[in-house]
Amino acid sequence: MHYLVVILPLWLLYLLLTGNGEVSNLIVGLVLAVGAAALLRPLPRPIIWRRVPGALLAAVQYVGVLLWDLARSGIQVTRIVLSPKLSIEPGVVAIPSGCASELATALSAHAITVTPGEMVVEIDADGVMYTHCLRVDAAAEYVARAQTMRRDLLQRIFV
Amino acid sequence: MEAILTAVLYGSLLLHIGMIAVTMWRVWRGENVIDRLIGADLLSTFTLAILVLIALISQQSIYIDVALGLVALGFVGTIALSKYLADEQMF
Amino acid sequence: MTTFLQIVAIVAVIAGTFFSLVGVVGYVRLPDVYTRLHATGKVGVFGGVLLLAAAVSGTSLSIGKGLVLIALLLIIGPVTSHAIASAAYRVGIPMVGQRNDLQRDGALAGQRLAGEQGQVQDG
Repeated sequence: MHYLVVILPLWLLYLLLTGNGEVSNLIVGLVLAVGAAALLRPLPRPIIWRRVPGALLAAVQYVGVLLWDLARSGIQVTRIVLSPKLSIEPGVVAIPSGCASELATALSAHAITVTPGEMVVEIDADGVMYTHCLRVDAAAEYVARAQTMRRDLLQRIFV
Repeated sequence: MEAILTAVLYGSLLLHIGMIAVTMWRVWRGENVIDRLIGADLLSTFTLAILVLIALISQQSIYIDVALGLVALGFVGTIALSKYLADEQMF
Repeated sequence: MTTFLQIVAIVAVIAGTFFSLVGVVGYVRLPDVYTRLHATGKVGVFGGVLLLAAAVSGTSLSIGKGLVLIALLLIIGPVTSHAIASAAYRVGIPMVGQRNDLQRDGALAGQRLAGEQGQVQDG
């Protein structure tokens, strides 16, 4: 059953790239996806079907929060760069991720880095993310607060 | 509306060419090696943008395929170069 | 409907070009490597994605490829800037700014590089 988690996205990717809904193309895509999944051998992970709707809802909420952060901090960085005084005070802040799994830590590092103005430079073994910010004092507590919310969402996604 | 879209696309293309010129100047006169690496990565992103603009102007989707391959190759190149600079070995 | 989609495409092209321009201005103006990465990361994430959104909405070009390319850009943009920042820190590029928790907590990679240099000197 855990093969399904790999096969379905690969099939969808093939169909999006070819953009062709004929039956023969569907079958070729399915064969290729099954072959790739057989080569990849994903680790067995139990799927708890009762939790799946909640996890999907949390994923949608996660993407929404990410897009909102993106727009908000994009405008903020634009204002910083275009202002004639260039009022920045860069610095590095340590933010503990608090996530148990490594995948969740990597996803939170991705979410922090994709918003302009914050960027993860290093992650140590305990999952502490050293984040470089354009404005340290303003960003430090905001990033820490956003990280706790993100951690709760990620825990709901990865059950 | 069609005319405005075409005008905006050509203007954007001109601006992108200008930005590529500025970035190449910065890569030429870079402060250090990481600065030049950032500029090279920026150049690959601008090439993607120009390919998308050409696809929009000429209404041919083949340029989007080219952009897809170019993004993948530029990504692998930047990661390999930065890993080489950090660890002084490729693998 | 077509007119509405074309207006969306025009707005997306203008906004994408504006964000790319801001990225280049930041790349020229900002003081050190780490702050420049903030600006150039924006070119890929905003400029490229908005231009592709215009290509998806405004024309009848391949929608699937555009969506895959948007997802790819959103994934690889942060990965590239993190890789370059990590490389810059390991190479030892100086950083502007007072607060630096990375140095306070015992720089991970800096220590490792110093150790390797020590071994070379011993040998």
